[in-house]
Amino acid sequence: MAIVNLQNVTYQYPLTDSPALQNISLQVNEGEFVAVVGPNGAGKSTLCYTLAGFVPHFFKGQLTGTIEVAGIQSHQTSLPEWVLNVGLAFQNPFNQISGAKFTVFEELAFGLENIGVPRDEMKARVEEAMKLTGISDLADRSPYSLSGGQQQRVALTSILVMQPKVLVLDEPTSQMDPIGTREVFGVIREMAERGMTVILVEHKVEWIAQFADRVIALHDGQVLLEGKPGEVLTSDLLAEKGFGLSRYTSVARRAQELGLWTKDTLPVTLDEAVDGFSLTPDPSLRSASQSPTGRGES
Amino acid sequence: MQAIWPLLSFIIQFTMHDRLSFYYFRDSLLHRLNPLTKLALVFGLILVSFISPFYWTPHLLILAGIIPLAFVGKVTREYLNATFRIILPATGFLFIMQSLFQPFEGRELFRVWFLHPTVESTLFAFRNAARVFAMASSFTIFLLTTHPRELMTDLTRRGLPPQIAYVIISTLQILPQMQAKAQTIMAAQRSRGLDTQSSFLRRAGSLVPLVRPLVFGSLVEVEERAIAIEARGFTSTHTKTFLHEIPDTSVDKTIRWFLAALVIIALALRIWLS
Repeated sequence: MAIVNLQNVTYQYPLTDSPALQNISLQVNEGEFVAVVGPNGAGKSTLCYTLAGFVPHFFKGQLTGTIEVAGIQSHQTSLPEWVLNVGLAFQNPFNQISGAKFTVFEELAFGLENIGVPRDEMKARVEEAMKLTGISDLADRSPYSLSGGQQQRVALTSILVMQPKVLVLDEPTSQMDPIGTREVFGVIREMAERGMTVILVEHKVEWIAQFADRVIALHDGQVLLEGKPGEVLTSDLLAEKGFGLSRYTSVARRAQELGLWTKDTLPVTLDEAVDGFSLTPDPSLRSASQSPTGRGES
Repeated sequence: MQAIWPLLSFIIQFTMHDRLSFYYFRDSLLHRLNPLTKLALVFGLILVSFISPFYWTPHLLILAGIIPLAFVGKVTREYLNATFRIILPATGFLFIMQSLFQPFEGRELFRVWFLHPTVESTLFAFRNAARVFAMASSFTIFLLTTHPRELMTDLTRRGLPPQIAYVIISTLQILPQMQAKAQTIMAAQRSRGLDTQSSFLRRAGSLVPLVRPLVFGSLVEVEERAIAIEARGFTSTHTKTFLHEIPDTSVDKTIRWFLAALVIIALALRIWLS
């Protein structure tokens, strides 16, 4: 059952010459984890704003087509009602700190105060969300005293705590180290398992390949490809169009040309890459490529 | 140019702490009062000292009301600090200027060159200085003992538009951030060879590359912040709830009524005696 349904959506920002989104049709099922990839200017952030209702309620400009979430069309409702269903966290964590609050705990409660959640439930929800994203120890700190990665976790948590049906994330791990990124992807995956629908814009394709159910490749405001992560992220088309793909994919593609690649499909992650390499140019000798730890290949 | 930021940061660090708030956490009677009661106290004191027809009212209020209040609120040291550094010099200046230059006819106190303060102008200046002193002092004690969060939460609960509360609180929070950002931009421009040490004109010119990223950056920030708080239902039509409970006891209500009565009495006396 599709909870998100975009039909022929075309959108052009005011004072621009060409549309940022062109004829996008997209269905996302409840509890599905969809990743969106694309080069700069492909319309990824605009897609996020559109899903989250900021197009057309916040950004003016020309919009055609229909955007439907949980059976409601976005132009038929108001933004404050829309955000109850669709939560948005975006890239720059600093600008997502409300500035109205003095501690992280208060910052996380801000959204719940706005939508009138009773005090006891508010506290319980904030505590649960902090535990989930691993920021319980930051509760009494000032949101401005945190590092970029910590602020990003706070920004993500401040949306999670509102328990939207659909979670739209625009590069939520851009300021995080690999460990932080892995943890946050784990949290996002878990939210999807619990039935939250996730739409994630992300450059870190190796993590997408491990966690996402489906990948949508955007280019020039259009959907270029759509499908399973392993297929989309290794496609020749994306490589030609200048998408930032995994280095394991490019290494394996080169290996394939040299006859060092043993599989039919190309890898996105290190583990897959390790799996498929042959140390001799003859593809039939594939047993030699296994290393005991699954790592350590060079 | 170089002098501006260190000076600004000095003023901010010197007079404020904890992100542009004057607040000091103490466990005192005054801290436990409802913010509106304290606000009523401030305006009550100010109004009475300005309205009262009796000459010594502001002086009496300072000695018997405001200074004891600082003591009750356990902020005596901070209050005296502000008094000696800012309030006293300012009101002292006011006193001298008014006693010298208010054109009152009367008995001259002394005459030096063209300066000839009279008894009347001196008395007039002394009362005005006391009124301003009372006003500045009660606001200082209010700010020292009231967390802006509590004040804004309480006022929003009582019907102040949340947008106004937001503007006030976020200004307190974001100003130091903008200051830090300006310093970063400055350092970045300097590392690319911006001249900040030569003649005045050149240094004034070096402001230009600072202003553009700061202003345009801030505009982008405003848009993103608007999106961020909107994404969290800021303009939602639901009745807001509040994380912090701000107590409003019968003591608070009694104090507020008492203050209102005082102001009315002062007003009545003023009309009666004039």
